[in-house]
Amino acid sequence: MNPLPNNPLLEQFLVESRELLEVIGQKLMQLEDSPNDRRVIDDLFRSVHTLKGNSGLFTFPEMTRVLHAGEDLLGKVRSGEMTFSRELADRLLDAMDFVGMLGIEIESTGCIDASRAADSARLGESLRALIADFPDSAQSGAAGKTPVTTKSTAVSLTEIPPLSKVPEALRLEAFRRCGDGEKFHWIAYQPVPECFFQGDDPFHRARQTPGLLWGSVLPSEPLPPLVELDTYRCSLKFHLLTAAFHAELVEYFRYVPEQVEIVALDPLWLAISECEPESRAGIENDFVAGSPGSEPQRSPESVEEAGAVTRILTAQQQILALDDRPAWLGGRLKAVAAVLRNLANSLGNAEAEAQIEASLAAAQASGCGLPLLEWLNAHRSQFTLRLVPQSAANESRANGEEAPAASDPSKATGDDGIKFGRRAEDSQTGPRSLKVDQAKIDRLMNLIGELVVEKNGLPYLAQRAEAQYGVRELSREIKGQYSVINRIADEMQDAIMQVRMMAVSIVFQRFPRLVRDISHKLGKEVELVLEGEQTEADKNIIEALGDPLIHIVRNSLDHGLETPEVRRASGKPETGTLTIRAAQQADRVVIEIVDDGKGIDPAVIKRKAYEKGLIDEAALERMDDRTAVNLIFAAGLSTAAVVSDLSGRGVGMDVVRTAVEKLNGSVIVESELGKGTSIRISLPLSMAVTQVMVIESDGQLFGVPMDHVIETVRVPRRSIHRIKQSMTAVLRGRVVPLKALNGLLGIAAQHTANADDELSVLLVQAGGGALGLLVDGFRETLGVIQKPMAGFLSGLSTWSGSALMGDGSVLMILNIREIV
Amino acid sequence: MPIEFKRNRVIFREEVRVEEAEALLEALQKKPAAKVDLAACTHLHTANLQVLMAARACIDKWPQDQELRTWLEAVLIP
Repeated sequence: MNPLPNNPLLEQFLVESRELLEVIGQKLMQLEDSPNDRRVIDDLFRSVHTLKGNSGLFTFPEMTRVLHAGEDLLGKVRSGEMTFSRELADRLLDAMDFVGMLGIEIESTGCIDASRAADSARLGESLRALIADFPDSAQSGAAGKTPVTTKSTAVSLTEIPPLSKVPEALRLEAFRRCGDGEKFHWIAYQPVPECFFQGDDPFHRARQTPGLLWGSVLPSEPLPPLVELDTYRCSLKFHLLTAAFHAELVEYFRYVPEQVEIVALDPLWLAISECEPESRAGIENDFVAGSPGSEPQRSPESVEEAGAVTRILTAQQQILALDDRPAWLGGRLKAVAAVLRNLANSLGNAEAEAQIEASLAAAQASGCGLPLLEWLNAHRSQFTLRLVPQSAANESRANGEEAPAASDPSKATGDDGIKFGRRAEDSQTGPRSLKVDQAKIDRLMNLIGELVVEKNGLPYLAQRAEAQYGVRELSREIKGQYSVINRIADEMQDAIMQVRMMAVSIVFQRFPRLVRDISHKLGKEVELVLEGEQTEADKNIIEALGDPLIHIVRNSLDHGLETPEVRRASGKPETGTLTIRAAQQADRVVIEIVDDGKGIDPAVIKRKAYEKGLIDEAALERMDDRTAVNLIFAAGLSTAAVVSDLSGRGVGMDVVRTAVEKLNGSVIVESELGKGTSIRISLPLSMAVTQVMVIESDGQLFGVPMDHVIETVRVPRRSIHRIKQSMTAVLRGRVVPLKALNGLLGIAAQHTANADDELSVLLVQAGGGALGLLVDGFRETLGVIQKPMAGFLSGLSTWSGSALMGDGSVLMILNIREIV
Repeated sequence: MPIEFKRNRVIFREEVRVEEAEALLEALQKKPAAKVDLAACTHLHTANLQVLMAARACIDKWPQDQELRTWLEAVLIP
């Protein structure tokens, strides 16, 4: 059901926008109660601002535009230029509902339907209109209540456009087409001066305007003399006349909506554009309701119809009676004739047309309006008698090409604006994901941890019931209960872990770009293969994994993979392959970075390490190749001959090891000279539960993280050899140094041997190699919630933490790396 | 080259882009009387248009593209 393109950024945006909208809604309502609360206003402004900024990351101009207008409006409120009012809140809430609706639309279809552009523009303009209207609305709140008429909307929107610039023939042609129900728009397009830098060509945009009838280029400021002209600053503006629909224009100018002003042309303006504004206003009042194409809010009552017709006719008489002789008289006469013709048509008076034409011809010939006026006076009664209201209404409806409410932006200022309701009674489309504070999850995690520990107390209880009180029945019942609780607790723990789990793809997704950029820079051909992106691990682990991985990938690209020429010479395909593979293995996640490059030469590494003083001469001789290549993780080693800006400073791999070890992970490198290198990072799936092995020494219990444990062995006392102060033993054909735990911890006692005089040795992985720890005995392995040492104890590096055991006792966890 | 500068003529060809505006301005500053030949021009970037307007350039040949010609005649005929 969800065709959302797989874009995490977009998903995040949608989640965030939902939250922000919620906040905005709350704040708006809060503000209604206390309109002067500065803090709330600031918060509100910030939220809208953030949302607008975020929406700008995507191509949702519809959304951005509305938010931008909202932001401007709130900016005015914030700066005290406007006061907050209920009307303002309503309008903003509507706008936010619209934005929310767009969000849902994006979520379900992946894009915004083009039809929203008109609504968006309308909402945006209605918000801006609030800013513009403010002084009026402060005086009379009733202003918005008056029914919207064509006149008020048109005039409030803008000055009447300078149509006189349009060649008369063209204008009258347009006017005639108005009569056929077409609508025209006037566009004032004022590009921003910097638009050239944004790759914009306003002239091109203007030329390509849909339905363009006429256009003109004007300097927006007087053009300076040539020497001072800044070629890269746009100082032109455009006036355009077009026959396209409003929605189409909004769509066309959707990237520069703030630079254009689109005005629906009143046919009247086309007809009598040259009139003085005052006289025009007077005429318009009477005349506009009946002019063609203007979609008057006509009521079917014949009385009103008659009134309208009467007014129109009176207006025409007034026009014709004007006794001036302007140069545009011809246009005026034509206009009057056109009005009369249309009126006659709409009233079903067919024979009038020819008469009007004849009178017009006569009037034009004589150079005054008299013939037309005479005809009008003679036939006036005819109009009123012939009135057929229904047919008139129907006809004008049929001519209307689009619903006026949708096309006329300013209409939204009235009460009839479409509501983008997400009201309480609407069915809620619940968000599919839940954003929870990490602290809450952590608390849950801790509680589960305690439950797991407490549950471990039940077997002890059962034991006591049997051993101490001799009640076997009860003991068995307790064990039965325990197994049930155990199962539930385990599942619960698992569920909480799942909540914290994230896929490694979050980290992986940055690699394609990284590899591409770096390999291009180095002139290498590299194919990146990502595997097991769906492997999940704890959020903390995934987040901490990013930087080490980048180091490793950079290293592989820089040192590992060869240039195409070298590869060809050594018989390999020119394109190298870099594979990053993630997989879950038991309770660990293993990430491998494999390249098929030149591999690591152990001899070189050994020599370098020796030169840098990292190993001594003896170690140089002894060291096997496997251990040698792992020297790359030692601090201060760089094998690259030249330090590049990518790698070679000898810090990278050292950082990797430290980061991985901090996560209780391990990193191993394997390499075959000439074939390639594989680096293997193994990390715990979750840091919440640590597996520890419990060991005993001098009657005390200690925990050793299982990550460090290689094996447990019993070594006969006689096979332990002493070399000066050090003990060693040969285990599985390898010489392993031994250390006594008691000695390391400063416990005076000797380790006890078993009946066969064998000592218990815990073989651990510490630092570079294996080490045997002498202990008194082994106990079980436990999953514990490890608590770090806090307060004064945090300075004790011997311990990595403590954990509660099932019987309530505290288990100290050894920090193996520190004590050896 | 969409603009060709000859001795006393500037010839526009096809689509003249924003990058040309600087050179055009320079040329018209040096030779204010240069004649501009737009015959083969199909579009010129706004930047070029405003240079022509500011220079009150003398247009020698109007574009064959009728639509462009209408636009330009309205602003470039003094």
